[in-house]
Amino acid sequence: MSAALALRGLAVTRGRRRVLAVDALEVAPGETVAILGPNGAGKSTLLLAAALLLPASGEVRLFGEAATRSNRVRLRRMTSTVFQDAALLDMSATRNVEQALAIHGVPRSERGARAARWLDRLGVSARAEARPHQLSGGEAQRVSLARALAVEPRILFLDEPFAGLDYATRARLVGEMRTLMQETGVTGVLTTHDHAEAAVLADRTVILVEGRVVQAGPTMEVLRAPAGQEVARFLGHAVVDAAALGLGPGWVGVPSHAVRVVEAATPGAREARVTAVEAAAGGARLALEAGPAALVADVTLEALTEARWSTGDTVHICVDEARVVRL
Amino acid sequence: MGLIGEALAEAWRLLSTGDSAVYEIALRTAVITACSTLVAALIGLPLGLGIALGRFPGQRAFVSLANAGTGMPPVVAGLLVSIMLWRSGPLGALGLIYTPGAIVIAQALIATPIIVAVTAAAVMALPPPLHYQVRAMGAGTPRYLWLVAREARLPILVAVMAGFGSVVSEVGASMMVGGNLAGETRVLTTAAVLEVSRGNFGTALALGFILLAMIVAVAAVLTVVQHRARRA
Repeated sequence: MSAALALRGLAVTRGRRRVLAVDALEVAPGETVAILGPNGAGKSTLLLAAALLLPASGEVRLFGEAATRSNRVRLRRMTSTVFQDAALLDMSATRNVEQALAIHGVPRSERGARAARWLDRLGVSARAEARPHQLSGGEAQRVSLARALAVEPRILFLDEPFAGLDYATRARLVGEMRTLMQETGVTGVLTTHDHAEAAVLADRTVILVEGRVVQAGPTMEVLRAPAGQEVARFLGHAVVDAAALGLGPGWVGVPSHAVRVVEAATPGAREARVTAVEAAAGGARLALEAGPAALVADVTLEALTEARWSTGDTVHICVDEARVVRL
Repeated sequence: MGLIGEALAEAWRLLSTGDSAVYEIALRTAVITACSTLVAALIGLPLGLGIALGRFPGQRAFVSLANAGTGMPPVVAGLLVSIMLWRSGPLGALGLIYTPGAIVIAQALIATPIIVAVTAAAVMALPPPLHYQVRAMGAGTPRYLWLVAREARLPILVAVMAGFGSVVSEVGASMMVGGNLAGETRVLTTAAVLEVSRGNFGTALALGFILLAMIVAVAAVLTVVQHRARRA
């Protein structure tokens, strides 16, 4: 069976700078692939080129059919794209969905019911007559998703669709998207810089750095075993000299959940100095210096409130070696 | 009663008695201005969209040219059209000089750059994701152009209003290419100039009031359309 999406030698150049160079990437039908990478890595450029929205050299195939100048619009109608900016047209939520259905040739008599069904499915039926400026960010993104899914695309491109939303809305919407994608069986391509989103939504993950694929594989495998220092740093691991932790030669990646703040008397505990206290999803994060090693540790808000850690404090930590990744 | 009082009284008499000469000039002005605005819109809107959305060499030069054209002096437009339509000119055989058609051409020449420049600016000001989104919805070129124009409909309406405003009040081009011929090419502005030169301030004032009323009426209609468009 042909891949739902196949990219070969895809390259985008701006001025003299090559911002994207992907040798090969395939997405199987029904599969969801996340493209993870830091800001400026070329994630959106890759997605736009794959969605036939940006001119690029190389080959893009959708379900075995190579995109050309003449079939571009027809192939685009096999796909839907949701952007970070909901980019709703200046009309009601219902008419936004109906407009997409009209473009896809759905008869006028069916459009209303289908738009209502998808708005209901995305939980915004009560806002069906609202115009874009009357919708919250979360509602607008739900309408945008309804518009994208109502046309029953074979491939759904999601370009950081949850990035502009508050934490709670994002968490809820990501969960709902997972269910919707499983129910519809649509092939998905998601760009994100949040590896938790990739973990929830994607079967496979591709890490993109400076326009190049530096690692690809099943999502949990990529997240658990970054292929190099660059990927490890992007995934939030502290990259340290293994010797500094008594782990022999070479470099290791230490994820924040591998570092625990413990009582001084705990066996194996080592001293560390707090260099920064940062907010993190659902808790806080301590940046630490343990001798020559710079580490990070996740702590709960309760622990932070109780201990009142601040920059310059000394704490004791244990590093769970089983969670440390050798690079 | 002083000069102003006499002029106002005469203007009131002409307007209230429905002076046929004055109302004939007003009707001709309305028809000519509507035609020239329509011609300018038919040329200017697609050109503005094309300049804003197209990718071609010299695109910036076109934008600059349109922007510069917004300041086109009516006498220059009149001069260019006169040269073209003059009996010995390149289009002299058409016999359009000193006809309402010549005024429409000259006025369209004045209004078109304004409509092009404002339309292009309005479309270029739309958020970039919107362009991607409309394409991503599967829109072909005609639907894409329609939806983009629809998103910029309010500023585009302003462009047409600005085009109308620029031609309804111009006098130089109409005088040069129309010749201010009684019963044929005399419009409100050229008639007002003539009446002032004759010292008929009352008639000139009546013509001025009608011109102002016409501008206010068109602006009111377009404002209503604008509000409806915002709600649509």
